[in-house]
Amino acid sequence: MKLPTVQFTEQQEKFRLEVRSFLKKQIELGTFNTKCDSWLSGSDPSFSKIIAKQGWIGMTWPEEYGGGGRSSIDRYILTEEFLAVGAPVAAHWFADRQTGPLLLRFGTEEQRKFFLPKIVKGECFFAIGLSEPNSGSDLASVSTRATKVEGGWLVNGAKTWTSNAHDAHYMVTLVRTEPLDPEKKHKGLSQLIIDLHADGVEIKPIRYLTGENHFNDVFFENVFVPDNMVVGTLGNGWVQGLAELAYERSGPERILSTFPLLNELVEELKKQGDLIGLGEASKLIAEMWGLRNLSIGVAKMLEEGGEVAIPAALVKSIGTKFEQKVPEVARLLVQTMPCLEAHKNFDRYMAEAILHSPGFTIRGGTSEVLYGIVAKGVVAG
Amino acid sequence: MSEMKDMLIEVIDKIFKDCADKETVDLLEEGKWAENLWELLAENEMLNFALLEEHGGVGGDLDCIFNVYRLVGRYAVPIPFVEHTLANFTLETSGLSPITERATILIDEEQMLELQEDRLSGLLHNVPWARHMQQLVTAAKQQDDYYIVQIPLENAAITKQINLAAEPRDSITFNNAAVIQKIVVPYELIQSLKKINTAANIAKMSGALEKANELTVQYSKERQQFGRPIHRFQLIQQHIAILAGETAITNTSVDNMISALAEGREEYEVALARLRIDESSRIVATSAHQVHAAIGVTHEHNLHHYTRRLWSWREEGYTSYYWKKVLAQTLLQSEMDLWEFITKSNNVIQPIGGETNG
Repeated sequence: MKLPTVQFTEQQEKFRLEVRSFLKKQIELGTFNTKCDSWLSGSDPSFSKIIAKQGWIGMTWPEEYGGGGRSSIDRYILTEEFLAVGAPVAAHWFADRQTGPLLLRFGTEEQRKFFLPKIVKGECFFAIGLSEPNSGSDLASVSTRATKVEGGWLVNGAKTWTSNAHDAHYMVTLVRTEPLDPEKKHKGLSQLIIDLHADGVEIKPIRYLTGENHFNDVFFENVFVPDNMVVGTLGNGWVQGLAELAYERSGPERILSTFPLLNELVEELKKQGDLIGLGEASKLIAEMWGLRNLSIGVAKMLEEGGEVAIPAALVKSIGTKFEQKVPEVARLLVQTMPCLEAHKNFDRYMAEAILHSPGFTIRGGTSEVLYGIVAKGVVAG
Repeated sequence: MSEMKDMLIEVIDKIFKDCADKETVDLLEEGKWAENLWELLAENEMLNFALLEEHGGVGGDLDCIFNVYRLVGRYAVPIPFVEHTLANFTLETSGLSPITERATILIDEEQMLELQEDRLSGLLHNVPWARHMQQLVTAAKQQDDYYIVQIPLENAAITKQINLAAEPRDSITFNNAAVIQKIVVPYELIQSLKKINTAANIAKMSGALEKANELTVQYSKERQQFGRPIHRFQLIQQHIAILAGETAITNTSVDNMISALAEGREEYEVALARLRIDESSRIVATSAHQVHAAIGVTHEHNLHHYTRRLWSWREEGYTSYYWKKVLAQTLLQSEMDLWEFITKSNNVIQPIGGETNG
């Protein structure tokens, strides 16, 4: 497993500073407050529109679909800058990260022309429908089914833990288009784009342990999905879905969910002139640097079309463990009384980091499932 | 340059593979010197590979040098190949003449003897391989000036000591010993030699770490319990995945550190890589031994060649203890916030793709 090293160009550094000063201005204007885990728990459709105006949604997509035609390293930089200041990017996140690349790779021309320009404008958000009440880590056992009818499909079943379904317009949904063959569970699965405002769709919030609404139950009762909303090849949904996972698992959001706290920790220690504390913080910084090297290497390889399933699983499994470690180290270096309403940034970020931590190593594939994928790949390789 | 690098790596890899076998590595425990391996490297003119091209080397190409050093860890090479080549690199970098006699190196600001009329007296600890070597390249002081000096070891009093992997780390005492060559150098050179020596150590560690990982994966496929190979068990898979992750992060970080050094834009990469490899060494040694279970803690098995080196090397030269303090001081004095600090250390100074020295 050899990953490339990436050296940012002068132009890319300039772009980084451009994004940074834009975000700084938005904070000064009061558009948003810095928050840990903002990429998942910070949904703000109006902020997404502001981002869209900058040309920063779909920035790597071809210009003919409204995209920016930029490199994936540019997008990496943009994403890092959002996460470093905890900007509320959740509303457009999944469409930008996954649905766009999925449609560009497997979608029809009609789908691309219809959806991509809307996504780019910040007018169309997507959710990703994978888990079901009885299919979590054993994802291939999904039982939501689509039955062929004239001109399309009738979908029945339920998805759960669907992040941001309540703000999204559509959902890329993994459904069974052929009866389940217990010997070949991965067969007969397809990806359908379901309009979340269609008849028969019901979205019920699942309250997170803080009481907030990030994820949802989504129920389908005889929901009609026209034929032109099938993504890629019928029955090829599992393989297509796997391709998305490399994007989902390897990005900076698997490292930086608690970065605002780490940044604040260093500020506090500097204020206190605490060299020993800063030395301990340096160990976290070295861990973050190591993960970042890996994650940027995967981004580069993805762009070049390389096989990255295993390193992507590594970024997620190790990166999220790091995200969880940050509050645990920080609380021993600076006195804190964590509270979501705290006036003091350190206490507030600490509260967000602790309360959101359990999800880091679960969402997008549990660490245990990822370890299995990595180990099997390593042993086979 | 990369063709040259590939060729060198191929040649040295073959020599190590053929000659640094378990018996040869084990010789160290008996205090013996693997003369045949040294001679083979000398015959193939590999002992001067780190020198300028006119001296038969790669022209100080750090990318090449550190990637070769990875092999020393990978094969637990039981001779002071790194020390000898770095000693000569140091002589040449500071403006002195390289030598063919066996040389070792010690760059340690806490252990700089005072030059008096071109002579040195005093005690130096942890001098690698001193008992087998003829010359020492080290840093010395004369009032406020820093020197790089070459001094013979033949008349030095040597107290034999070893690290956890049985590699010689001797204490030596000079009694009014005359230096053979010396040159006054700016303090910046001493600082940069600290980094070069740390990076060499990191490169060795990454090689040993990678090998411990490979041995573990291999063993998990061969060892059967409960009627199947142990890699089929989820708890073993967790170890394998963690080892793969630590190895991937270490290798990518070492690659990043090497390219930063080779392109002359290194800022904190050495310090960060040093702290990171401390963590991966601990995790890899623990998991590798756990998967190997009892066989891995026997002298007969070769896992300990790598884990004992990791435990030794992590305490040698400028360690995490030192670099952690450097980073703490830097952060304290910096006006940048952490994010600016991190992204700056990835800054471009020169465009990519340019040829480095040589």
